Amino acid sequence: MDAISTSAASGMRARMESLEMLANNLANVETGGFKADREFFSIYTGDDASADPQTGDIQTLPLVETHWTDLSQGNLINTANPLDFAIDGDGLFAIDTQGGVRYTRNGNFRIGPTGILTAADGSPVRALGGGPIQLQPGIAVEMLPDGTMQQSGQPVGQLELSAFDRGSMDKIGANYFVPLDGAKAKQATGVVQQGKLEQSNVGAAESSVRLVAIMRQFEMLQKAMNIGNELNRKAIEEVARVTT
Amino acid sequence: MALVVFVTGESFCTGRIRPAAKTASATKQKQEERKEMIRALYSAASGMTAQQLNIDNIANNLANSNTVGYKSRRAQFQDLMYQTTVQPGSQAGASTLVPTGLQLGLGVRTASNEIIFAQGDFSSTGNPLDMVIQGRGFFQIKLPTGETAYSRAGSFQLDSTGNIVDPNGNPLQPQIAIPAAAQAITIATDGTVSFTLPGQNAAQTAGQISLANFQNPAGLNSIGQSYYLPTDASGAALIGVPGGTDGIGTILQGYVEQSNVSVVDEFINLISAQRAYEANSKVVKAADDMYSQVNNLTR
Repeated sequence: MDAISTSAASGMRARMESLEMLANNLANVETGGFKADREFFSIYTGDDASADPQTGDIQTLPLVETHWTDLSQGNLINTANPLDFAIDGDGLFAIDTQGGVRYTRNGNFRIGPTGILTAADGSPVRALGGGPIQLQPGIAVEMLPDGTMQQSGQPVGQLELSAFDRGSMDKIGANYFVPLDGAKAKQATGVVQQGKLEQSNVGAAESSVRLVAIMRQFEMLQKAMNIGNELNRKAIEEVARVTT
Repeated sequence: MALVVFVTGESFCTGRIRPAAKTASATKQKQEERKEMIRALYSAASGMTAQQLNIDNIANNLANSNTVGYKSRRAQFQDLMYQTTVQPGSQAGASTLVPTGLQLGLGVRTASNEIIFAQGDFSSTGNPLDMVIQGRGFFQIKLPTGETAYSRAGSFQLDSTGNIVDPNGNPLQPQIAIPAAAQAITIATDGTVSFTLPGQNAAQTAGQISLANFQNPAGLNSIGQSYYLPTDASGAALIGVPGGTDGIGTILQGYVEQSNVSVVDEFINLISAQRAYEANSKVVKAADDMYSQVNNLTR
């Protein structure tokens, strides 16, 4: 295959993966605590690139090789529900799920039937240093900015807040992040706000602009591929014509 | 010619950059390649379904914005599974590793629509049997089936035998009867119901209203007519008298609790849900356009 068609095909494939990422972001535009994914374009360099420096004709192809998660702050909305918490700043809530400790920015918590603070799926919210947070029934819960919970003025537990470096967490669905092997939790600097929830940080307007850009780039690449095909056709049908 | 490479993707995408993916999960990789054509479509479709449900929920809240004792519900969403196309930590070159990998999300699902038990506004009615709970408690209502249902709607009446009943005719528990000749009915903040008879000065006590509280009210099961039933998630009802220290609340006579639906907030939610639906439908259109261009590559 010729260079134009290969590059264009690679570009089209990369734009399709961009579209898939954008589709997932937009599907989660109302998901509390969701963080948008962005593609990270890189260039694939062909094996022969270093072998033939004279021609200068190095074959490079654009490729979505990895992604990064935009961990910027989402808007905080007032819910007036005393068991909704949002982190203003960096850090994640730690949840003891059946599969191990998972991290989330979605602070839509509730009190489980046995009185422990749980995430929306019923998994206990992890207290600082491990273990659940046991609450008294029917008594108002107050949250201090550092994550300490109080009932009737007495502390009943402190939420564990952890922060991770960018790129050291994977998403596993259900609003959870899981740290990659070897990732170390840092001390979070964010503060906890009660009665608020963090909205998704997907910008609908910005996403629409990106959607148009992806479509137009895709169209351009498709035109480029047609030009490549046309050149091939001419080469085969006209250049090599044997005149009698 | 071009299309072959595009669909399989093998020739240039699993070359030097991704040897790990090729050896470890070659079959899985192939399946994912095939599915990739419709990933964006399904992600966008899941977004549209979720927003549709969000609007259903908003519609129900708005329909009940004048229902006494109604508690609004709010839809909560979760992101779905992620497909890992490039494993993080796989070999990127002779001495470099892929730092974060490539994960493609598959859309959204509706996790729950929880009940928001925030206190509604009070409105004065002047009816002596209208009551508001200032706090977290619930009235206990005996259903015709013998079950006890729980309700925040405190507009009560008397039935033909003098029992305090709710608008559906189901008696308040514990049962309290008021004689037909009773003049002034007074309900104290601790739930004590008393009345005076004509020609008498001293008030007589008819009974005391007790309220129920739940460990996790958001886990209650709504059965309509403002009734809730306990579930394993809510825990069993904890019965107490109003005015105690356990947060169950106090009773205020002559008022009813309005629905806690904020019409302004619901309209804002409606606008954002509608726009999110629209954005997802645009993605469906974009994916369709792009796939149609792919189909037109060969002539």
